[in-house]
Amino acid sequence: MRDLEPRLERFLASRLAADAVRIVTLSRSTEGFSQETFRFDAEVTTNGQRETRGWVAKREPVAGLLEPYDLEPEFRVLHALSADPFPSPPTPWFTRDPAVLDRPFYVMEALPGDVPVPAPRTDGRGPFTDGERRTLGPAIARALADLHAVDWRGLGLEFLGVPGPGRATAERELARWEQRIAASGLPADPALTAALLWLRRHVPSCDETTLVHGDFRLGNFLVERDGEGARLTGVLDWEMVHLGDPLEDLAWCASPLWRAGTDFASGLLPPDELAAAYAAASGRAVDPARFRFYEVLTLVKMLAIMQTGIRAFDDGRTRDLRMAIFDHQLPFLLMVLAMTLNFFGGGD
Amino acid sequence: MRTTVDRLVDGVVQTLLEAVLPDLATPYARGQLYAAVDVLRNLRDRVEPRTDLANAESDSAAAALERTLAVLGGAPAPTAAIRAALGAVPSDPPLARTAALRAALVTALTAVDGLPADAARAARAPILEHLGGQTMRDVAVLKPSLLAEISQS
Repeated sequence: MRDLEPRLERFLASRLAADAVRIVTLSRSTEGFSQETFRFDAEVTTNGQRETRGWVAKREPVAGLLEPYDLEPEFRVLHALSADPFPSPPTPWFTRDPAVLDRPFYVMEALPGDVPVPAPRTDGRGPFTDGERRTLGPAIARALADLHAVDWRGLGLEFLGVPGPGRATAERELARWEQRIAASGLPADPALTAALLWLRRHVPSCDETTLVHGDFRLGNFLVERDGEGARLTGVLDWEMVHLGDPLEDLAWCASPLWRAGTDFASGLLPPDELAAAYAAASGRAVDPARFRFYEVLTLVKMLAIMQTGIRAFDDGRTRDLRMAIFDHQLPFLLMVLAMTLNFFGGGD
Repeated sequence: MRTTVDRLVDGVVQTLLEAVLPDLATPYARGQLYAAVDVLRNLRDRVEPRTDLANAESDSAAAALERTLAVLGGAPAPTAAIRAALGAVPSDPPLARTAALRAALVTALTAVDGLPADAARAARAPILEHLGGQTMRDVAVLKPSLLAEISQS
């Protein structure tokens, strides 16, 4: 990884028009399972003034969970949101030039805080204290409402693809993930097939289109704690951003997949309280049929992502062992799916 | 398992040698890593998936499909599709039988989906009950996840 330092230094110096840039620390993060994430601090000297600043570089992997990769759309969204009050990381630069880091990457400003992960802890405690949940839970609901209020047309984000009216929004998302499942080339899984057929039978209608983060959940929240409460300082990992039904984000955030061993949506609020807080903050009713569709689609999306990772590892296109663990993580996910769709009682 | 044991072992060995070894500083740690690689390489061709697990899944799947056929009674199209899929299931080896029965379950789910809602629900129920039970059997043999450590080490 040391060979990245001089190349990053040259890149930063050119973009900042600095006299000198020196990377002080550089490390690869393990939180994100998809793109390659590098956190670095650099000493920047401009006109004799020296300051140390922190950045994060996101680089396209050779293979991975959401292949084929194209970082440019999410960069364009993050760049467009950089001046918005929504807590996304200011993101100034993107390049496809292979001379810099071999593969396309973008650079974001590092924000304060840490990223609590959604995996259950061995001591049985959740990721937040009660005091932190009390402040952070409502803040998450408000942030989601703020995201869905973003004027995406005004920001020129139509390039993400504007879905059609009515059932077209949900149909497009379902088709997107069916395509990913097919592309994995793995034999059709019967439980996953049952879920896909259920989704086809329950496609909801939706007549509003918002910016959808696509991965809004515990694990992508940057949080700063003050001993009593907690503050949301950033929302990370925008690689699944698109235009669609806002309830897709709400259902994703409330999923049992990221409760970190607690009963709380994203480790923060009871799911019905999160829905109520979101409804109050957004002024948008949470339609049960639409929410249910996206609740099931959440599980299908994760199965598709895992299958893609398994295939990449199986083909030898990645040797990231975090892809290999999905082979035995799948049954956990299928069990959640079976409970969600009441397989044990003969199905919904 | 979707990935075969030999591919898993090959991948783990390659990652240990190419991504972990360069970051190990002490001779003892490097020696231990080489020993782990040696163990894995020699384990690779001596491990077989458990046939008792495959047989349990296959027996449950076959029984579920028979129950679905019984529910279907006189519906000719789905019945024919399911019987054709069952006809393609080999009796041996166990893993091939399991794979063919999974394919037959997919065929059956797709075939009954075209029936009127109530009939489809009744025909689907035995298959879903089997799939629910199978997820429990699959999870029962797994070790506690180290996902937290993997994500934040």
